[in-house]
Amino acid sequence: MPTTTEPEWSTESARSPGHGRTSGRRGRRRAGRVHPALYLFPLPALAIYVVFFAMPTLQAVQYSGTNWDGFSADYDNVGLGNFERILTGDDLFMNALTNNLKFMLVVVVFQTIFALGLAIFLVKNTTASTLLRGLFFFPTVLSSVSVAYTWKFIYDPNFGLANRVLEFVGLEQFTSSYLGNDTAAIYWVAITQIWFHAGQMMVIFIAGLQSVPAELYEVAEIDGAGKWKQFTAITWPMIAPATAIVVAYTTIQSFKAFDLILGLSGNPPRYSMDILSTRIYTGFANSEFGYAAAESLIFMAFIAAVVLAQRRILKFTQKDV
Amino acid sequence: MNQKSHGTMYTRRRILQMFAASGLVAVPAACAGPGSGGGGDQGGGGGEALPTDGPVEGEISFAHWRAEDQAVLEKMFARFSEEYPDASVSQDISPSNDYQSNALQRIRSGNVGDLFVAFRGAQFVDMVDAGLYADLSGTDVVERYDPALIDVGQSDGTQYGLPYQLVFNQPVSNLDILESVGVTEPPPDWDSFLAMCEDVVAAGLVPMAWPGGEIGNAGHLFNCMVMNNAPSDDMCAKIESGEYACTDDWFLTTLAQYAELRPYFQPNATGTAVEPAQQLFAQGDAALLVTGSFHITAVRELGAQFPVGMAPPVTVSADERKYVGIRNATFILGVNTASDNQAGALELLRFLSETEAASTYANGTVQHLTVADVTYDNEDLAATSDWLSKETLLAPRFQFTDLDIRNAAEQACIDVVGGDSPEQAAEKAQGIIDQRIGS
Repeated sequence: MPTTTEPEWSTESARSPGHGRTSGRRGRRRAGRVHPALYLFPLPALAIYVVFFAMPTLQAVQYSGTNWDGFSADYDNVGLGNFERILTGDDLFMNALTNNLKFMLVVVVFQTIFALGLAIFLVKNTTASTLLRGLFFFPTVLSSVSVAYTWKFIYDPNFGLANRVLEFVGLEQFTSSYLGNDTAAIYWVAITQIWFHAGQMMVIFIAGLQSVPAELYEVAEIDGAGKWKQFTAITWPMIAPATAIVVAYTTIQSFKAFDLILGLSGNPPRYSMDILSTRIYTGFANSEFGYAAAESLIFMAFIAAVVLAQRRILKFTQKDV
Repeated sequence: MNQKSHGTMYTRRRILQMFAASGLVAVPAACAGPGSGGGGDQGGGGGEALPTDGPVEGEISFAHWRAEDQAVLEKMFARFSEEYPDASVSQDISPSNDYQSNALQRIRSGNVGDLFVAFRGAQFVDMVDAGLYADLSGTDVVERYDPALIDVGQSDGTQYGLPYQLVFNQPVSNLDILESVGVTEPPPDWDSFLAMCEDVVAAGLVPMAWPGGEIGNAGHLFNCMVMNNAPSDDMCAKIESGEYACTDDWFLTTLAQYAELRPYFQPNATGTAVEPAQQLFAQGDAALLVTGSFHITAVRELGAQFPVGMAPPVTVSADERKYVGIRNATFILGVNTASDNQAGALELLRFLSETEAASTYANGTVQHLTVADVTYDNEDLAATSDWLSKETLLAPRFQFTDLDIRNAAEQACIDVVGGDSPEQAAEKAQGIIDQRIGS
């Protein structure tokens, strides 16, 4: 028999008179039961989730079917009209999408490679490695606006560090207007993004690398595997979870580089640097809440699709795990 | 006993039922009709009469975007509090870009901005439509302003707001450089403007420091470039309505003139932000800063010692000229209809509109004002005060109420400076505008 001092959160089965004697399916089900009060514990988190995520998302769904301007009491329901216009008759949205894909591709590929390279070189816990890790991680703790303004002055074609250095070393022919060059501007922004976040991704990779058992490398060496073979056969598959996190996180960051873009290009951004998040912001600033809400939903769906596709690709390349 | 207490506790089924019920409540709450929240008086203009007298007490929130004016305003508001000991003023300042994007929603809540401001153009129109501005028509405060300068604060004949600042969105000049090349008066026509630029180049200097990397600041030049070229003064409104197009002759002429200016901008002008352009001008390497009078303070803070004037490009011959420059009346003050302290806000507006307070603000922030009889003691204000009486056009770029259309037209000018042909840039811009008009 249970005693009255038994804690409230103990399982039903523990209080059950038959506890210890029950067997079979019914017993297993009872053993898995929790006290109903425990269902109240997630309530605060759930409330926050509902108020700050679920409800705004539902509202966005509703607004996306209207031409609401953000302040009027009157609006018209336009059905799927906003989505149709975005996908078939909005060159600015398509331009932002193209820019965003270019930006994402460059950032995901080069930031991942760069972060992984740094992690491999700095994986050992020596004093020098620790110091260098701190230095490479440092940009991550800066505010994005500070980073944007710093790089804005680096890229300035007249007073900026980049052109000054090129002139100093005699490479005047490579000086550029950087962000003023519409063809290349988005790639210069990508370089800033990589500088900003590579250190953060390096830390994730280092954690992944340090979890690989050293014995695997020892066995591989005995079997005569070279460094490259060790990397492709052991390291790469074993750091699959870290890579998945890095790639997914980098992708989402690439789509949300909003403050960096606005800091570098001013508001509104030029077409050459306009990405989806800044385009949506312009929509809201332009008093097109319904339309911007529809853009936001497409934006959400697009990120989800890209991240899912990436996970599939990574699973395929790291299937040996 | 436990069995008994168990009966009073929530079962899992009941808790899940509660979650489901909460969800059912949340869904319709989330789907409440757009526009069903917030304050303001929907549907244009103020509704209830503005209390013209009442107790001036409590904290009065003043929402604006001029962080650079904060210290001057603090001193002025201290004087206000001496006059009204039960009242204090807090400044709610946002960066201008944020203010442009978010102010309407924030002020509409009534929590900030008992007294607030708006940019001329789209923001003022939206704020009037949202019913944020109380009707100031017939109040004594309106009489303190120059009547010729406050019509931008009207809508359908009602005076909702009072534009406070009078700025000149035209190139600021280094008078020492211009004098050294023999220019003592603003060039009266296009040929003389180009000749002036040529002389500055010959002197080894940059004629025009232009922030072509920032569309918002780059666009100030657009005002001067179209003021005499366009067939009518409401050219930007007509581009937006579809009556005019960027592919029209007058716009192509304007773009061709931008192309003529290419050699006179600093190198890589389309990648230059506003701060480096100011620096170039402040250190005496450029003859003109191609933004506006509102950047004179920044240039002085960068150490510029030379006398300044203004030299806008007149794009036609002297006999075809209608305007010699551009002005803009902005910082449109208004009393918030959603405010609980309208009496205090109106009294603060009265205070700002007094000649003495306005003179303090003007000289402290180096800006001309629309308030009548202001005394301009500041050297730069005094030197540029002759522009107050010249034939200037109210900045046309703020006729655009659609930011994407405005950006398309102004981006075409940047593209031409960057190397595109006028026809190519015009086609591209008009393509975007056609989509916007058709939407």
